[in-house]
Amino acid sequence: MKSLSNLFSSFKSVMYKNYGENPGKMLVHTGVLGWILSSMAQVSAVMFNDKIPKEQKSFLIPQEIADAAINIISFYVVTSSFKNIASKLVSTGKLSTKSIRSHIERSGKNLSEYLGKIDTDIAKDFPEIKGEYKTFKNGVDVLASTVGSVISCNIITPVLRNEYAARKQKQIIAKMNGEDKKQPVLKPNRSLSMEGYIKMASEKYPSSFYSSNLKI
Amino acid sequence: MRAIFVIYSPYRLGCRIMALVGSVSNLKDISFYKNVSASLKKIRQKGLDVIPSVQFSQEKLIDTLGYIGKNFSSDKQRLALGVTALATQPFIDAKNRSVDEKTRKVSVARTVAKIIAGTFTGFFIRYGCIKGIKALSQIPSKNIPKIKSLFTPKGVKSNTTDEFEQYRNAMGTVIALVVMVFTNFLIDAPLTKFLTNTFVKHQQKGDKK
Repeated sequence: MKSLSNLFSSFKSVMYKNYGENPGKMLVHTGVLGWILSSMAQVSAVMFNDKIPKEQKSFLIPQEIADAAINIISFYVVTSSFKNIASKLVSTGKLSTKSIRSHIERSGKNLSEYLGKIDTDIAKDFPEIKGEYKTFKNGVDVLASTVGSVISCNIITPVLRNEYAARKQKQIIAKMNGEDKKQPVLKPNRSLSMEGYIKMASEKYPSSFYSSNLKI
Repeated sequence: MRAIFVIYSPYRLGCRIMALVGSVSNLKDISFYKNVSASLKKIRQKGLDVIPSVQFSQEKLIDTLGYIGKNFSSDKQRLALGVTALATQPFIDAKNRSVDEKTRKVSVARTVAKIIAGTFTGFFIRYGCIKGIKALSQIPSKNIPKIKSLFTPKGVKSNTTDEFEQYRNAMGTVIALVVMVFTNFLIDAPLTKFLTNTFVKHQQKGDKK
């Protein structure tokens, strides 16, 4: 059994080894971790809130988990795809700088035959330009990860979430109108809007209950 | 009893596992695997062929990319996410036809409030934690107190390399994420609620006029 100090030492080494040379990968992984921790906080806020009745919890917890899954999967799939495609474009030379291409040409390689081939790996074939290549690759990776995360967090996820939330809102209203007669405080009139629902919920539940999807 | 021992003996189990691992590694020699692998490679190559080849010649652009790779860490990424979120998300909510007009207005107010609160805490906590890790990851020496090298990995001799700088950013980000699990409730949620109410009141005043 490793001691706490050994575990911390190993953790530092793993972080240094994995992310020291790959800032793009770090942004993707910490982004996913951010969504996971944020979602866990939201789920546990519902789970450990004594003011929420058991019957409501059985509905709200799966809803929070589904919402978290949309956020995490969309973020990971889109951001890591952007990052991986950008990495492949740089490693095969499809995206390159003039000086890197000049170096490859000077080494005797035919550019049209060498660049853009799936097996081409500039870092492996030309270790002498590692510094220049890595600086360029890290820049492209970080840019691609950021663009990917912007598209995922600010376009894809809100569209998916709106669709999902609208369906859930209809279900909640239907449930409140029909079955949930045990909750007179939350019982709405027929023309309940989200505003009205939030107002009623705020009277019943603390702020953390309806503050889901906070990206940390 | 003997039969059970023979069937479940660790030696036999080990042999079976080894055989299984061996057969999995031999998959690469099977022609089916080879065919699938070659087909996938062809598809990937075709995908790559579709993308035009780009050569960066402008020094300024190459330098900017280098700067981004070196300095654009999670705090700046969070800020970029927040700024672009303000430019996209409220419009997506405003055009959401699945809900009524009142709901749309509340949803826009809440989204703007969430973005401001989340970006504010997200940026500053990441920035602070990365700075803090930089201060606590000095190279150990006689003049450096032990606490100042608490986050320095073993065997690192220089704190000026790009790898070490990226490690500091990564460690700072991970610590920030742990901090933000708590600030999510302590700062983000109440700030979002306050801002949402303020924006909704402002909207209602505007509607009355």
